Amino acid sequence: MTKVNTSYETIIVGGGVIGNSIAFHLSERDQEGILVIDKNFPLSGTSGSTQAWVWVHNKTPASYAEFSMYSAELYPYLSRKIGDVEYKRTGGLSPFFTEKDLEKAHKLAQKYSELGIKIKVLNKEEVLAKEPSLSPDVVGATFSKVDGNINPFRLVDLLIRASKKQGVAYSYYNRVLDIERTENAFIVHTQKETYLCKKLILAGGAWSKELGSYLGIHVPVKQVRGQIMVTEPLAPLLNYTISGMRQAINGEVLIGYSMEEVGFDRRGTLDVIQETANMAIRYVPSLANANVVRCFSGIRAMPKDGYPIIGHVPGVQNLYVAAMHSGITLAPLIGTLMTELILDGETSIPIDDYSITRFQEPVGQL
Amino acid sequence: MDNTTIICRCEEINQEEIEEAIQIGAETFDDIKRLTRCGMGPCQSKICMNLVSSIISEKTSHPLSQVPVPRLRIPLRPIQISTLATGSSNFSSVKSVMDEVELDERR
Repeated sequence: MTKVNTSYETIIVGGGVIGNSIAFHLSERDQEGILVIDKNFPLSGTSGSTQAWVWVHNKTPASYAEFSMYSAELYPYLSRKIGDVEYKRTGGLSPFFTEKDLEKAHKLAQKYSELGIKIKVLNKEEVLAKEPSLSPDVVGATFSKVDGNINPFRLVDLLIRASKKQGVAYSYYNRVLDIERTENAFIVHTQKETYLCKKLILAGGAWSKELGSYLGIHVPVKQVRGQIMVTEPLAPLLNYTISGMRQAINGEVLIGYSMEEVGFDRRGTLDVIQETANMAIRYVPSLANANVVRCFSGIRAMPKDGYPIIGHVPGVQNLYVAAMHSGITLAPLIGTLMTELILDGETSIPIDDYSITRFQEPVGQL
Repeated sequence: MDNTTIICRCEEINQEEIEEAIQIGAETFDDIKRLTRCGMGPCQSKICMNLVSSIISEKTSHPLSQVPVPRLRIPLRPIQISTLATGSSNFSSVKSVMDEVELDERR
């Protein structure tokens, strides 16, 4: 059954938001032989089971918030190129309910201001003036203008459509079974075919570890399950993207901020859904009366230290990796920077902090 | 039935939109759902799943018995958040963003 050795210049393994953003940006500049392979169908994994915040503030260290901010800034530009992805820069609110968090919020604002990222710490009256549906129990909130949200389905679909127009080939339901290295090429064995390529980009998200293992590369990414509740379409209720919930253009409210390390288990569980319901009412009491139509769950990629793993893999010519949490927030920037790295050999924003080399700890240390 | 026949009543998705998703490679109900919103409304695919499965079977030549059914999730029918809530203010798996803020610069 196996067809042998179709050749490509570049193969991207992983058809989620990151793989597709790389495919799109790369094919904008160089349309020669790009193939995207996915073991399933786009949006069947992490990119299709997210609240899809484009979120900058509250990220630490501040340099990582700055990195995320550059990506958020690229979204309006990306939308103009690929079509309406329902990107809304609503501004983001992180409400808190204790005095201790208020103190933390002030320190965070101070750190950010050193890098020129503006976040405000709002007191109770200011929060409620901005978002009247929030609970009067709120103590305060951090607020940033740059945060927002997006429709992840439209985003990935439009990235694929635009990439196809730029000559990118796609193969779905085609799991990678093994990868071999030759002197100046990779041989990618998949369920459907065996491909040859010069450059290989591993964009497997939560599945990155397995992909890396074919090449003897350790990509320390674990799986974290997140469960999210979706309401029926409601009249406009939330003005802002709130860390924990957001209202989509069609009126549905998506609610959730759970993290469980249960591997690839995507089942929903009543205990987490109940906690999520408690959170919903704690934040926005009027949600108590809203109907829930679905509770979905998704597997998020979580690098060992929480930060993106991007760039060239040292010691292996033409091998690149891009695996991270927050793929929706970072996609436009990662697509742009990976393209620069692959075609120009350097990036306009330094990515050294995010190199996979940081995990190679010297022997004798912790 | 023709191309303009509504298959998903909740989200008003017609046959043509479903066929287009299949044409670009969708093989399951859930593939089509994420591209078109078919089945994402209040009935959660209970009305359209059989219709969509037969379109998939017809267009992909996969036998109907081998077309995967949509993934069903909690709740089986719409239910109020207050019914799910327990009134507890203890959170374990559910976090707040501020919990995750670490103020010591790590690099």
